[in-house]
Amino acid sequence: MAIQVRDLTFSYGGGVKAVDGISFDVAPGEILGVLGPNGAGKSTTIKMLTGMLDPGAGSITVLGLPMPERKEEIQARIGVCFEEKNLYPQMTGRENLAFFARLYGIRHFEPDPLLERVGLFDRRNDRVADYSKGMRQRLMVARALVNGPEVLFLDEPTDGLDPVSARSVRAIIEAEAERGVAVVLTTHDMYEADQLSNRVAFIDEGRILTIDTPEHLKLTHGRRSVKVKLLRDGNEVTETVPLDGDGATERLERLLESGTILTIHTEEATLEDIFVELAGRRLE
Amino acid sequence: MSGRARIVAAIVAKDLRALTRDRFYLIITVLGLVAYVAIFWVLPSTVDETIEIGVHQTGLDRFIDQLGDGQGLTVTSFGSADALRAAVERGDEVTVGVSFPPEFLDRVRAGEPTTVTVYLGGEVPDAVRAVVAGSVRELAFLAAGELPPVTLPAERVVVLGEDRVGNQISVRERARPLFAFFVLVVETMALAALVASEIQARTASAVLVTPAKVSDLLVAKGILGTLLAFGESLVLMAAIAGLSSYPGTVLLLLALGAILVTGFGLLAGSSGADFVGIVFWTMAFMIPLAVPAIGVLFPGSATGWVKALPSWGLVDGLLRVSAYGEGIGSLGTQLVALAVWCVVAFVAGWIVLKRRVVRL
Repeated sequence: MAIQVRDLTFSYGGGVKAVDGISFDVAPGEILGVLGPNGAGKSTTIKMLTGMLDPGAGSITVLGLPMPERKEEIQARIGVCFEEKNLYPQMTGRENLAFFARLYGIRHFEPDPLLERVGLFDRRNDRVADYSKGMRQRLMVARALVNGPEVLFLDEPTDGLDPVSARSVRAIIEAEAERGVAVVLTTHDMYEADQLSNRVAFIDEGRILTIDTPEHLKLTHGRRSVKVKLLRDGNEVTETVPLDGDGATERLERLLESGTILTIHTEEATLEDIFVELAGRRLE
Repeated sequence: MSGRARIVAAIVAKDLRALTRDRFYLIITVLGLVAYVAIFWVLPSTVDETIEIGVHQTGLDRFIDQLGDGQGLTVTSFGSADALRAAVERGDEVTVGVSFPPEFLDRVRAGEPTTVTVYLGGEVPDAVRAVVAGSVRELAFLAAGELPPVTLPAERVVVLGEDRVGNQISVRERARPLFAFFVLVVETMALAALVASEIQARTASAVLVTPAKVSDLLVAKGILGTLLAFGESLVLMAAIAGLSSYPGTVLLLLALGAILVTGFGLLAGSSGADFVGIVFWTMAFMIPLAVPAIGVLFPGSATGWVKALPSWGLVDGLLRVSAYGEGIGSLGTQLVALAVWCVVAFVAGWIVLKRRVVRL
């Protein structure tokens, strides 16, 4: 396993547990989506996994090394993309990447291929202060890849990106996973989590509510249905037929025979729906 | 180069690049240096601290000549008390007048009380009034051959303005440690702004998920701040002839001063929540620190508590070395006080910054 977390617990001042005994694994090449509302404990978990916070209790193993005991060795082999655009605005894109390469001890680092990969090659010598929000986000992703990490922690990696840029960043994440990199992806974007993640973990109030593949979660917790729009007695009518339970086929047949079909769509539960069902509240 | 040294060097280089691209910092630094050097060289370089006293007296010529000899006093005799008073009022010839009664000598010798009238111009400072009072007593002593039964004034407590009669220094000489201090303060603000931006923009978090440690970040800030403050104050001192006397001692004082202000820079930078907060904390630290420097310009205005301020050792040390030509042997108190404050400021700055960084 690239990451092994067991009974991880952390409390800030006041005794309230921000993370309450969570356990999970991430395999090499796997993308784990971590979903949860603000304050659920996602950021605290990521901070402990990346060595920014020491665990209150429990254990973390990254790439076979215990965190925080072997923090430096682990940090040399991981990449982190923060939600905040914490770049150095007075420095150019090239200089930002080169600085972090020096921190990793990389000799003769060449930032241009990485900048090319995130679509910033043409602006590589511009100061980050002159970058748009989307460009900064792409540079953040590039920075997380400077050391060729074996584990990637990505916090809202497509935040603020236009659809085309978001798609290119998702392609990079998938390419890294195919290379064998374990990815922990924190996002509010249900579509992104659904598309990218091999598994998703729902976190709320410091605990993991469930962790599974998106498909299995939908099968287990979702309700399948068919949405039919038809013309009946000269009027457009839209009806939804649940596919779960007894008599679904008969109900659908009766509906289809009751008029002229205009459109027909199958529907399945979204991750958002499943989170609401499990947590009793929405993600935002 | 070891791993730690490489990381520290990378952070120092990055910060130096950021500073050199900060136009505000560059303008303030260059303008400040030019202004301090220019002002220094136009300040008066000579001293005229002779007190001009007018005297109306009877039979005291011999004693008055002794009084004015080498004591920083120029004595002018007047034929009458009225002429003396008029001269003091005009203020062009003398600003202080002393009128002795005809029986002064006899009464003093007999140990009887007598009254001497002293005319003072409105602008005459308290220090000169004390000098005049002392001169009258000394005159009585000379005339009587023994100390008269007069209670002497309590000893005046002056921190930087110790008795330098016959060894006064010019305003230019006094301004030297003040300007050196101002240069260090500018560097303090620059470092504080650098530290604060690292915290507020959370770039420190990005650094600390790499193999870099909190201590690497702190060492790098400390090195850069100290080198900048030391380098700039050294340039200033060279430009205002502050290295001509005991340059090694001056360098030592500047190095300690640079460490001191770097400590306060770390404190200010990690205390402020935003730009206004940084300015507030920088001022909160720097105003008390400026007191000894300003006190040098106005000797006698400060009192003993000034010696307890962190910058006293630096300012007084620089003054003694560069203006009075004193060597390291006579600066024990100043150096020890400065070194102690360096440790205090740096440790405090280190602790506060570390707390801020790990809480990001």
